[in-house]
Amino acid sequence: MSLTKATAPISDKRVPGRRYDPVLVALWIALVAIAAIWIAPFVFILFTSLKSNAEVMVSSAFALPTSVHWPNFEGAWRNGDFASTLLNSTIISFVKVPLGLLISAMAAYALARIQLRRRKALLLFILFGAMIPFQVMLAPLFTLVNQLGLIDTYVGIILPYLAFGAPYQVFILHGFFSAVPKELSEAALIDGASHFTIFRRIFLPISLPVLAALLILDFVNTWNEFAMALVILQDSSMWTLPLGLMSFQGQFSSDYGQMNAAIVMTVLPAIIIYLIFQRYFVSGLTAGAVKA
Amino acid sequence: MLNSRILAAPRVQALILLSPVLAVYVVFAIWPMIDVIILSFQKWNGLSDVREFVGFANYEHIFFRDAVYWVAFKNTVIWTVLSVIFPPAIGLLLALGLNEQLFGRGALRAVYYLPVIIAPIAVATMWRWMYDPFFGLFNQLLTDSGLQNLIRDWLGDRTIALYSVFVAHTWQSVGFSMVLFLAGLQSVDRSLIEAASIDGTNRWQSFRHVTLPALKPTLTIVLVLTTINSLKAFDIVYGMTQGGPAQSTQMLALWAFTQAMQIFDFGRGGAISVTLLIITLAIVVPYLRWTQREEDRP
Amino acid sequence: MQRLKNALVAGCALIAADCVLANVATAQELDVWSISYDSDIQREALRRAAEKFEEEHPGTNVQITMRGTDEHKTALRVSAGSDNGPDIFLSWAGRGLGGEYVLAGLSRDLTEYYEKYNLADRFSVPSLSFVDDFGEGMHGVPFRFTGEGVFYDKRAFEKAGITAEPETYEELKSAAEALKAVGIPAFAFGGTVNWHLMRLMDNVLEAVCGAETHDALKKMELDWSATPCAEQSFVEFKEWTDNYILSPFMGIDNKQAFSLFVGQRAAMMLETDHQVNQLIEAGVDFDDYGLFKFPTPDGRLYGFAEYLYISSKSENPELAFQFIDMFTDVDYQTEIKGAFGALPVNTAVKQDADVNPIYQEWTTLLADAPGTFVNGDQAFPLDVTTEYFRVFNQVATGEIAPSDADDTMATFIANRG
Repeated sequence: MSLTKATAPISDKRVPGRRYDPVLVALWIALVAIAAIWIAPFVFILFTSLKSNAEVMVSSAFALPTSVHWPNFEGAWRNGDFASTLLNSTIISFVKVPLGLLISAMAAYALARIQLRRRKALLLFILFGAMIPFQVMLAPLFTLVNQLGLIDTYVGIILPYLAFGAPYQVFILHGFFSAVPKELSEAALIDGASHFTIFRRIFLPISLPVLAALLILDFVNTWNEFAMALVILQDSSMWTLPLGLMSFQGQFSSDYGQMNAAIVMTVLPAIIIYLIFQRYFVSGLTAGAVKA
Repeated sequence: MLNSRILAAPRVQALILLSPVLAVYVVFAIWPMIDVIILSFQKWNGLSDVREFVGFANYEHIFFRDAVYWVAFKNTVIWTVLSVIFPPAIGLLLALGLNEQLFGRGALRAVYYLPVIIAPIAVATMWRWMYDPFFGLFNQLLTDSGLQNLIRDWLGDRTIALYSVFVAHTWQSVGFSMVLFLAGLQSVDRSLIEAASIDGTNRWQSFRHVTLPALKPTLTIVLVLTTINSLKAFDIVYGMTQGGPAQSTQMLALWAFTQAMQIFDFGRGGAISVTLLIITLAIVVPYLRWTQREEDRP
Repeated sequence: MQRLKNALVAGCALIAADCVLANVATAQELDVWSISYDSDIQREALRRAAEKFEEEHPGTNVQITMRGTDEHKTALRVSAGSDNGPDIFLSWAGRGLGGEYVLAGLSRDLTEYYEKYNLADRFSVPSLSFVDDFGEGMHGVPFRFTGEGVFYDKRAFEKAGITAEPETYEELKSAAEALKAVGIPAFAFGGTVNWHLMRLMDNVLEAVCGAETHDALKKMELDWSATPCAEQSFVEFKEWTDNYILSPFMGIDNKQAFSLFVGQRAAMMLETDHQVNQLIEAGVDFDDYGLFKFPTPDGRLYGFAEYLYISSKSENPELAFQFIDMFTDVDYQTEIKGAFGALPVNTAVKQDADVNPIYQEWTTLLADAPGTFVNGDQAFPLDVTTEYFRVFNQVATGEIAPSDADDTMATFIANRG
């Protein structure tokens, strides 16, 4: 009985007929209680966003709103210029993420599969970038982008994003590609295929799961990025969602209902993406853990 | 049409495959890193055409005449140490708990991980509202339960402000280490644990002697990633306190940013950035060398 | 390979086009950069000005960009180092803000316009005081003069038995004490926005040191640690923050403080004249509120000016000036009367007879004041302002003793590289 338990796939289903281990029951209760604490902030924010300002000031934190105060959302949408910030975030993310993944995959393939002198050093050189906090380079980055005349442009924010997103992806994909059996590509090479072809026709298709995971992770990171956008996107018409929220906080902090409505609208896209693509988040993270 | 013979050479193909990443990386990541070092030896206000060379004057100023620098330094160290201890510890406990076969653990795991995917600036705004001294969650709950004497100005009291921000950070980052630990736990050989329990060892002993050793690689990853991430702390402090009150929650990355982009002293900002860079390198370089050694092992 | 080359060329062209489009302001386009004002009335006034100008000058396009205060300052800095930038920009006129831009060469010398159009006659004396304060020539055109004074809740004063508006600093302190005795915090401030609490510090400095010494301290001509009234001011300031401010205040901002004031949680606020707009929007009964100048021995009015500057890099200075001309002209100023506060810069603008009583008081205050003194964050250069904020915040939070505060200021000023 215990041996089969050891080899059975780990699943969510309770094994029928099992005796309840009191330790496990206590554990479960503790976990649920902690989960309740973890989710409490969201509940609080949501409730506040549905109350009018007057109601916020008199009702208690978790009191259900007496009615849904829609003007909070309308006002927040308008005052926070959500139409514009949402559009900018979307354009930037949808351009940067696939593009970044593509060039990272290309580089990872080259480093994993093509004989190069010093390719180990090159890999280390690129990996180095994953470790450095770009926050220390905000000022020179700003100066550089400014000199190129790219402040307040999509290109101006996407290029640095690509630069800082590549190292981690190259690292992960390099590990993955290195593990692909040599026979697969050797046969094609003998047949005269170029590396471009092998990359396109063999490696990309088999790495789809990893690519998907990296795509999701990178999408969320790009969507949420703040510091670089703060420095490069100065014009309010170019602001992304995080910048819009920060500006909203600075201007409308005392309108509690609207403030919380703005928070809700800012985090909603990420939450929806997460709920749909849950498993990719986990596999993307663990790919890094396992590899290292 | 370029000579297809040249193109056929693997090295040329490699170059083409590598060049986009290398191009953006060198221009937008490596060059700014070099530039920040150069800037630290200059005096520049971001406006004029002239960038004056001033030797070590900026460093001298931040080390000996800038009170806020040492506050930021101390806070960064405290923050890093706390970040490496608490969120991973809680993450490990949660992972251990969720590793058991429990009802609804997928949902539980999702709840703990959810804050990770929220923009740090949104987390900052959320928690700033929760910490509101008059209508925020905590003070309201304390008032409702009669514990008024515990009411604090969570973000306005300089003795606790940094820790208030840290709590918000913990809330967000526990899920990250939890997921990594969960993955690591999957690789722990269940049969070993079963064998141990048949032998009569209790839970704690089997944890100590079977699980923990097997988790060592994961533990290393979590610690290193957490350290690196914590040195980057910027968004959350910017969004909650902007370094206040009275610069008591100032951090190195934020102070560097403030000097350059708000006070317009790019030289001093550069010097502060360089010290943070050195601290980061002091952690990262040994780790990289260690992983290389591990990989080279047969 | 050919495809690759084509792609590269196309890519470069796209980037180039992006750059070009970003830089060019057509001959009939005006870029105006402003801060995003608190009330709709003010934002409307700016937008309406753009519309009106476009109507009067067909074929022109006036683009007004509004940003939060800090972002606006940063954007101006950014534009200084690049070719993108506004034609007209707004700034507070003191040394630390507008002065910086003038000294950096960002502002166009408007002497010719001042002379040609006799502008000096159009504006009130206090509002003009910054035009030639920095650098060569005359810079900027005033469009707003803001006074700051004490708004008080008459009901709170009644409850505390205060029968007359305080006229000396000592009387103000007694009033605060009387309010405290009946459980009402005297003032509401928001500590997270440093410039709000700074108003108290500035006024205490004026009250304790007097006009001349205060000015000298702010100009850094006097050593803070060697001037006894500086230390005394910090001592007084600490007394205020410890006893007479609605607590907790370090963790809230000025808008929240205002909400609390309107909610009758505190008796007074040190606010600008345009706060009247906020009170109107909050729907208060103006019989409940009054105004008086923060009492100081020399009786100066605390206030600052906001100017419209023409960028030295503007390609349409003539057109830009016409916009400013229209904006500050008596016709438009009368049209937007009250939008930017009670004190129109244009001396020809008359107030309505039935205007809000507090507005009328403001005009009297300005007319009677023997002079003005400016906010600390406009008097000081940026780095000193940052330190000033830190020092008085530390006094307020109890981190340093008042007797050390003046030394800290002096040390920082002496150490400035």
